[in-house]
Amino acid sequence: MVQLAGVTKQFGRNTALDGVSLTIGPGEVFGYLGPNGAGKTTTIRLLMGMLRPTSGTASVLGLDAWRQSREVHRVVGYVPGEPALYDRLTGRQHVAYCAHLRHRDDANRAAEVAARLDLDLDRPARTLSRGNRQKLAVVLAVMSRPRLLVLDEPTSGIDPLVQQVFHSILREHTADGGSVLFSSHVLGEVERVADRIGVVRGGKLVAVERLQDLAARSLHRVRARFAGDVAAEDFAGLPGVRDLLVEGRTLSCNAPQSALDALLKLVSAREVEDFECSEAPLEETFLSYYGMDQAGGTALSAAGSAAQHAG
Amino acid sequence: MLASVLLKTLRDQGRLLLAWAVSLALIVATYAAVWPSVQSQPSISGFIEQMPEAFRSLFATSSADMSTPTGYIQVELLSFMGPIAVLIYAISAGAGAIGGEEDRHTMDLLLSNPVGRGRVVVDKFLAMVLGTFGLAAVMGVSLVLEGSMVDLVLPPDKVAAAMLHLALLGVVFGSLALALSAATGRTGLSRGVPAVLAVLAYIVNALAPLVDVFDRIQKVSPFFQYIAHDPLRQGVAWDSVLVSTATIAVLVALAVAGFRRRDVAG
Repeated sequence: MVQLAGVTKQFGRNTALDGVSLTIGPGEVFGYLGPNGAGKTTTIRLLMGMLRPTSGTASVLGLDAWRQSREVHRVVGYVPGEPALYDRLTGRQHVAYCAHLRHRDDANRAAEVAARLDLDLDRPARTLSRGNRQKLAVVLAVMSRPRLLVLDEPTSGIDPLVQQVFHSILREHTADGGSVLFSSHVLGEVERVADRIGVVRGGKLVAVERLQDLAARSLHRVRARFAGDVAAEDFAGLPGVRDLLVEGRTLSCNAPQSALDALLKLVSAREVEDFECSEAPLEETFLSYYGMDQAGGTALSAAGSAAQHAG
Repeated sequence: MLASVLLKTLRDQGRLLLAWAVSLALIVATYAAVWPSVQSQPSISGFIEQMPEAFRSLFATSSADMSTPTGYIQVELLSFMGPIAVLIYAISAGAGAIGGEEDRHTMDLLLSNPVGRGRVVVDKFLAMVLGTFGLAAVMGVSLVLEGSMVDLVLPPDKVAAAMLHLALLGVVFGSLALALSAATGRTGLSRGVPAVLAVLAYIVNALAPLVDVFDRIQKVSPFFQYIAHDPLRQGVAWDSVLVSTATIAVLVALAVAGFRRRDVAG
């Protein structure tokens, strides 16, 4: 459905996107994650033909995103990152304008989606709250029943209840064979709908993996308190153990399931006063692997090795 | 009014165009109201003849006789006020066409529909053309109707010819603004450059009889195409219409090409 092949985009001397390649299949929801400024919006606007790639190609259903953007737009619904609307037009007028430009009559479908999202289509766009503007952008994107939805942080500003409705709209879309590219800066937003995630940082795609693989590598948070002082080096050699912290008599770390046995044996070789082991939320696992906080060196190298692992 | 980019653009300009139309009708009414007192004072023509030649070239068309309706309107309206009004509208509309929509960040929304960039440029251009011709028509109709009330009698066909040339003058500079807007997305630049060039073109045409260099390049000035043949007396000059139309066609082609090859500001 979507194919990016070595897409690079430079703005002057600044490289916003550096050799990004990925594919999204039919019926698939692809979560595109990265901190702000990592290149998510640049990727999406390249795919929408708003930007011309410096090198590489982006295509949708075999159509070139830049040269055949008009044909691409026929089959794509798009929610821009900061949805700008025509201030003086109401929701219904937006629907009418876009439907005319698409030579379709989408009024009924638009009204249906708006009702599900609890959006009043009769108010002028300038009076809408951020969340309602976002909803209108979603209505405009899905009303033409496109094959591909390209969503740039579509749920920021939308409350959780409406997010659930939005997720069910996405599921109906994929059930009919449609695909979704869904960007976000937090995993939590895409966790429940994404099949695969890609992580972009500093303009590079540093990892792509199936969400269920990530879940399988989910980490356990381990804390132990010993009768006497322990040294960090004693535990450092364990494969897979991350975020190791030893302070006096206490140890804390995150460990994948595969490392638990070895870790437990090392721990139990000493006199233990207290022990705690719990599964971490997926978000935490994700942050530990891909450190979205732009902390720099360690997070980057961790993500780099994980990307090789995933690739 | 939302069936195409063209209609939507005209709809957006609705109130603005109405305000312009009312203003133009009022300006013409002012000139008409002053006419009886001008007519009864033939010394005004003498006053103009006593002006330094450079002044006379700049602010009046040299051979105009202020005591005739045609001469009066030519000096008062066609030499200065009319072009300024039409140029301000056309240049603003051209400059805002592409860049304005990018400034308001709505271009992503518009272009995410299956509308080609060329189509957007052409529709925005047509809206500017219709607006400019509409305003020129309002000015022409006002002249004939309001003039007839105060014995300022002008031949309607000649007025129509003058307004055709005036509208073309506006569209030439409006198309230049559109081309800059489409190629750069910068509204300020697209407004400023045509405005400065319009002033230069005006000066070149007006001072051509006095300055050798200007005389040699006078014919490239759109003001020459507009007024040099004296449309209020001579009617339409088809060669001038052709030159203006060709200029406009080239500028629109450049606008389409310019917008097709660049990144859209998000």
